[in-house]
Amino acid sequence: MKTIIHGEGLNKQYGHKHALINVDFTIKKGSPVALVGPNGAGKTTLFSILCGYIIPSSGKVSIMGYPPGDRALFGKLSALPQDAQLDPRFSIAHQLEFYGRLQGFSAKKSKREVERTLELVGLRDVINVKPNELSHGMRKRVTIAQALIGSPEIVLLDEASAGLDPLHAREVREIVASLSDDITFILSSHDLNELERLCDHVLYLEHGKLKEHTLAAGVEGSSRYFTLRMKQQEEGLIEAIQQLSSVIDIVATQDREYLIRAIANEEKTGADIDVLQLCFQHKWQYAQLFNGKTLENQLF
Amino acid sequence: MNVLDSHRRIWTLARFELTRLFLTKRGMAALAAFATVWFIVLYYLVSSAVTIVSSEMFQDVARQLFGALGVSNLLEWPVPELAIYWLIAAYLFPCFSLFSASDQTCSDRTRGTLRFISLRATRPEIIIGRFLGQILITSILISITILATVIMAAYRDLSLITDSVFHAIKLFIDLSIIVLPFIAFMSFLNSFLKSSKMAMVVCTLIFGLGPFVVNLIAYKLPIAMQLNHLFPGKQITDLLGETEVVIATYGLPIIQSIFFLIIANMIMKRTSL
Repeated sequence: MKTIIHGEGLNKQYGHKHALINVDFTIKKGSPVALVGPNGAGKTTLFSILCGYIIPSSGKVSIMGYPPGDRALFGKLSALPQDAQLDPRFSIAHQLEFYGRLQGFSAKKSKREVERTLELVGLRDVINVKPNELSHGMRKRVTIAQALIGSPEIVLLDEASAGLDPLHAREVREIVASLSDDITFILSSHDLNELERLCDHVLYLEHGKLKEHTLAAGVEGSSRYFTLRMKQQEEGLIEAIQQLSSVIDIVATQDREYLIRAIANEEKTGADIDVLQLCFQHKWQYAQLFNGKTLENQLF
Repeated sequence: MNVLDSHRRIWTLARFELTRLFLTKRGMAALAAFATVWFIVLYYLVSSAVTIVSSEMFQDVARQLFGALGVSNLLEWPVPELAIYWLIAAYLFPCFSLFSASDQTCSDRTRGTLRFISLRATRPEIIIGRFLGQILITSILISITILATVIMAAYRDLSLITDSVFHAIKLFIDLSIIVLPFIAFMSFLNSFLKSSKMAMVVCTLIFGLGPFVVNLIAYKLPIAMQLNHLFPGKQITDLLGETEVVIATYGLPIIQSIFFLIIANMIMKRTSL
């Protein structure tokens, strides 16, 4: 796959604070990439460097062969920057059409683009409303629409679903999933379940240092992993699963959640079937059986 | 192609400035204040220009006043309405342009709106586009007030129309050049200040205390007097009195404007958005 973003030796210092320390990474064109990490880890700093909002203290970034902020990237890279607001004095249409015009569209085409992108985020009917008349979630969706004007190849969404109700957060996920054949999304979020559903490639930042991560398919060498979530605490569950011949070991990762390591053997019935049968026999209510380790368990 | 694209983006940004004046409350308030001031100027001063300049009763007073200001040449103008207009506009338009241009990028940067724009236009394009937009706004307002003055003069004496139009075109050019460094100065302040109010406060302090500080430094270091050339509007009195050479009256404001825009660009390039 084609490399679209390459960062090398990136450092960013704010006074004595190192927001990024020797960050190296490569992002290839294709499925969405997750950028995760605790608060203050440097996610927004990295996003801001990629968008050209801030200059790194040292190191290099190349986006499709150009430095961040280069005019060659206009219309190809777009973003939903965290906390950025539209001008409250103008209607949504007026501002988004202005962005369309800046991207080189005619007045007519800009209008059509604005209608199309607002339709995508389910806000076609607020086109002539001013941003202050919208709820926080609606404003967020409008700024997502802003990022989709034209035909961007890379879209960076910083905390896109933060502050959205579950229905609209799901809509945003669906938009990302449906457009990810044409657009490489880079998503930052604290919602690991959301990222797990969308991304195979994870950039994990902690204290300014980056660890690249590829989501495990569930098989590691001769072992296979499952994550079992129960609806309630079941007495004797660990012991019973441990006794299954297909299971190597089981550990409780958090309340009512267990990581099962099983034998990877395609010839025989898998541990997943054995575990489900066991739950059925004991009338244990399970909530979810996840193939592999959850992103949370992989990272922490 | 790149140059054409860049010109298109600059023009798009400049046109958007017009809507910022005509479609926002702040812009409309500025326009209302502008219209009120100019109504007073046109109604009470410009319309009485002939009386002020040529009547026996006011002639001596006018000569003393215009002489003190170093603009007694204005009394010789064939269209007194334009002479009075010129005297007032040369000071009012710079003040208005400072106010009107006080929010070129700062509130957009504070709000984060500039982040959306900077994904579609370079920072120099944003600075130049907004600067040109402000010039466009001020030029429109200058044209309207000059036109009103020409109409007033023609209404009094239709035979003055040729002289009026000729003078009006020259005044339009002169005024447009006068306001350039004031707008560029605001572009410079906007490159690092966070609000238009702060820009106005800093601007007032610089214009109020700046010459005093320069004189203080020049007391010990005479060459520091040259720093006065950094203040926009230094040439206005000379221009009114028609005592300076063309290069100084037209060249200085253009050089000042380029200087402020270059500095604004240098600061903006390093500023985090």
